[in-house]
Amino acid sequence: MRRSDDARSQMLHAIRENLAKSASSDAAQHAPPCGRSVPPTPNPLDMVARFTEQLAAVGAQWTVVRGATEAAHALARILTSAGARRVVGSDAPLVQRLVSGLGDGFVRESLDGLSRDGLFACDAGVTTAQWGIAETGTLVLESARENNRLLSLVPPIHVALLSTSCICDSLGDALARVSRASHAITLITGPSRTSDIELTLVVGVHGPQAVHVLLLEEEP
Amino acid sequence: MTFDRNARAALADGQLRDALRQATTLFGERRRAALATAPDWEGARDRARAIKDETLLHLDRYLEEFSANAERAGARVHWARDAAEACEVIGRIAEQRGARTVVKSKSMASEEIHLNAALTARGIEPVETDLGEYIVQLAGETPSHIVVPAIHKTKRQIAALFAERLGIEPSDDVATLTAVARQALRRRFAEADLGVSGVNFAVAETGTILILENEGNARLTTSLPRTHVALMGIEKVIPRFADLEVFLQLLPRSGTGQALTAYQSLLTGAKRRPEDEGPAELHIVLLDNGRSRLLASPVTRQTLACIRCGACLNACPVYRQIGGHAYGSVYPGPIGAVLTPQLFGLGRSPELPYASSLCGACRDVCPVKIDIPALLLHLRAEVVATRAGKQRVLERLAFSGYAAVMARPRLFEWVVRATRMLKVVPPLGAWTKGRDLRPLAPRSFRDQWRAGLSGKAP
Amino acid sequence: MRVSLFVTCLADQLWPAAAVGAVAVLRRVGCAVEFDERQTCCGQPAFNTGYRPEAGSLARRLIEIFESSGADAIVSPSGSCTAMLHHYEQLLEDAGWRARARAVAQRTHELSAFLVNRLGVEDVGASFPGRLTWHDACHGLRDLGIKDEPRRLLRHVRGVELVELPPPGAETCCGFGGTFAVKYPEISVAILDEKVDAIERAGVDAVVSGDASCLMQIGGRLSRRGSSVRALHLAEVLASTS
Repeated sequence: MRRSDDARSQMLHAIRENLAKSASSDAAQHAPPCGRSVPPTPNPLDMVARFTEQLAAVGAQWTVVRGATEAAHALARILTSAGARRVVGSDAPLVQRLVSGLGDGFVRESLDGLSRDGLFACDAGVTTAQWGIAETGTLVLESARENNRLLSLVPPIHVALLSTSCICDSLGDALARVSRASHAITLITGPSRTSDIELTLVVGVHGPQAVHVLLLEEEP
Repeated sequence: MTFDRNARAALADGQLRDALRQATTLFGERRRAALATAPDWEGARDRARAIKDETLLHLDRYLEEFSANAERAGARVHWARDAAEACEVIGRIAEQRGARTVVKSKSMASEEIHLNAALTARGIEPVETDLGEYIVQLAGETPSHIVVPAIHKTKRQIAALFAERLGIEPSDDVATLTAVARQALRRRFAEADLGVSGVNFAVAETGTILILENEGNARLTTSLPRTHVALMGIEKVIPRFADLEVFLQLLPRSGTGQALTAYQSLLTGAKRRPEDEGPAELHIVLLDNGRSRLLASPVTRQTLACIRCGACLNACPVYRQIGGHAYGSVYPGPIGAVLTPQLFGLGRSPELPYASSLCGACRDVCPVKIDIPALLLHLRAEVVATRAGKQRVLERLAFSGYAAVMARPRLFEWVVRATRMLKVVPPLGAWTKGRDLRPLAPRSFRDQWRAGLSGKAP
Repeated sequence: MRVSLFVTCLADQLWPAAAVGAVAVLRRVGCAVEFDERQTCCGQPAFNTGYRPEAGSLARRLIEIFESSGADAIVSPSGSCTAMLHHYEQLLEDAGWRARARAVAQRTHELSAFLVNRLGVEDVGASFPGRLTWHDACHGLRDLGIKDEPRRLLRHVRGVELVELPPPGAETCCGFGGTFAVKYPEISVAILDEKVDAIERAGVDAVVSGDASCLMQIGGRLSRRGSSVRALHLAEVLASTS
């Protein structure tokens, strides 16, 4: 404890001392511009179209669904065609409903009480996403709203439910909307990837190999 | 000099040169294509540089703000004056928690402080999880590029390495090799007691750290183990949460040509409730290790604006030919040539500032507009003024002679005439080994001017 | 328009055709050309190698020489030496000298920039039959922003077929870098070979550039490799009326 206090005060002192040395050669400093340019207000219809276009560009898949029933069917279809049997759903109420509605062909798990080995044995993780970013096809997951960190990471398939009304235009928009009370905010743009071996792209390294977004259109 | 020897070895390695040419060309092309998708690229560069400048000018204040907010959110912040202190802090955290295995995601700072050796000395096993770093670690080597650390290895070499160290059948298929690494590392993730990560940006306003990646290993490193240690250079702090946007617009495009990497993790403190996912503890280690000294002048201070994107490596004609190992430092390429002598002393690497043709391509591509050529020239002047380089007596004499001759035009002409008459060939074996030497013109311009070119009678 | 020629020591002694050509072109477009024989070297080699005091003394000397000229402009057939003159302001520490450096720099132009931007001339009445490619010398390109100007001038030369190296080919460094070329000759030649490979693939008669240093580097390797491709200075092509 004391050592760290010493280090802290010495480091701050070293910084101040060195800055003072340069003071004579520094021009007057103005407050810097904030890191945002102000973009024009986008059209909401455009945003969904742009979002799905970007999803495809980054290698994620998407299905538009209207309402929970369609979502349930789409989920079952996605999991079946991917050969995913062991499915773990997050604690979000909608996810719980959808996962529990899956037939007996699936082994349904919940993060609660799931061992580490159990988690690693899952074929698919289902979560919601709190926001989408149209500019880049990005999903934004906030830990304050749902336990979605591990389920969107460990199983090789990640299915995310996102309401179309939660798609925002740009990264800056998303940063302005997220709750800073979240101790973990995760931005996901497509499946995991690497080009570390001879620059050859491989999709699916440590994170999921496939990302499916179920886009929930709000009932009018 | 080590750099000389390493550079020659690299130049003789045809496979390395092919790999470097391919990688740097590809990243350069992708970067150029990505700029087209960026809203106002030049404006973004200016804004980012202005934010860095403002932060560095008040670094003490922003670090204090960051530290206070991170701790308010439940993180423990440690201050480390140098590499030894940082290793001590992290080593102690690991030991106190009985850690036997530590998983690591990419952190150049951890390489800088030789953390792996320090952990190993305590009987703790560090496991690199970024695929390129993992390969390099298995091979007992050091990374050769910031973004693709194992670019110097062919898939055949990697296959042989995996066969030897992991006991698999050698395979030429890159997807198979990747899957092998994924399998091997998944077990390590599941067992690890502690995860060590780097930090790309640290937000003073909220105490948030941001880590970006493509593979998912940083997310695993920072969400599975019970304890997460994040190591960051003090220059990583930025003032406001909203500032992240411009840096996220610049970094992925500059480094790999992506609009965004697959994952960004924004972590603020420790989890709020014990039953939540994620580590029970977050420790953030603030590392100085020579950085504060760079604050002392505007020209050196800009070195600390670097966001470690790797764009300068991909643009540099020298790096393209010799790769990262030749620089003999965790930081290679143009930024390495200026950062390494400034952090670790000119005396240790006086040749690095000269390992450049001063072409300026690095300055063109730097997202935060660091004037690397100006830094190289500044360091060269330092090397000369402090006599940091050895064997410089002849060179000093040569330049004194040159200055004396050039101050006297008659003497200048006389020296040239004498050289031409006596057919003196200057000791330029270094030139003539690869290139023909253009001879002195039989009639110089000024000879011709005087002989009538001026329009006046000779 | 009165122009004072900033010949550069390299052009003067090793590539006088560049300087002679520059004089011819400037006269052809109506400038009166003066040459102050007191000039020698701008100090760039010393500055680039870290010998600032030596560079500073040569800088002050050259500033005094050009200050004494009443010419409207100082013109040089070298991007790097022109850029060096523009850097004098940073090199010299005294406020008085800085102001004087700035004043001289404001009047100093590289040849192609002078013709196109100051005089508004793109056709200098030249003719030169041949397939040419252009090499962007680094300091001219990045310090002075010279990119378009030489190309405009070359395109107006009768008989010239201007071929662009596939991007980013024209802009890549030739590997000279001053003392770098002899401190790290192997790296210098490795960089150079990629450039020369691209030039040979382009199937041109000559590579043209605005800096004699680059031309020495590229020309020296072309001849060592037994190539028939020539290295020419922009001014040689522009002066040609064959």
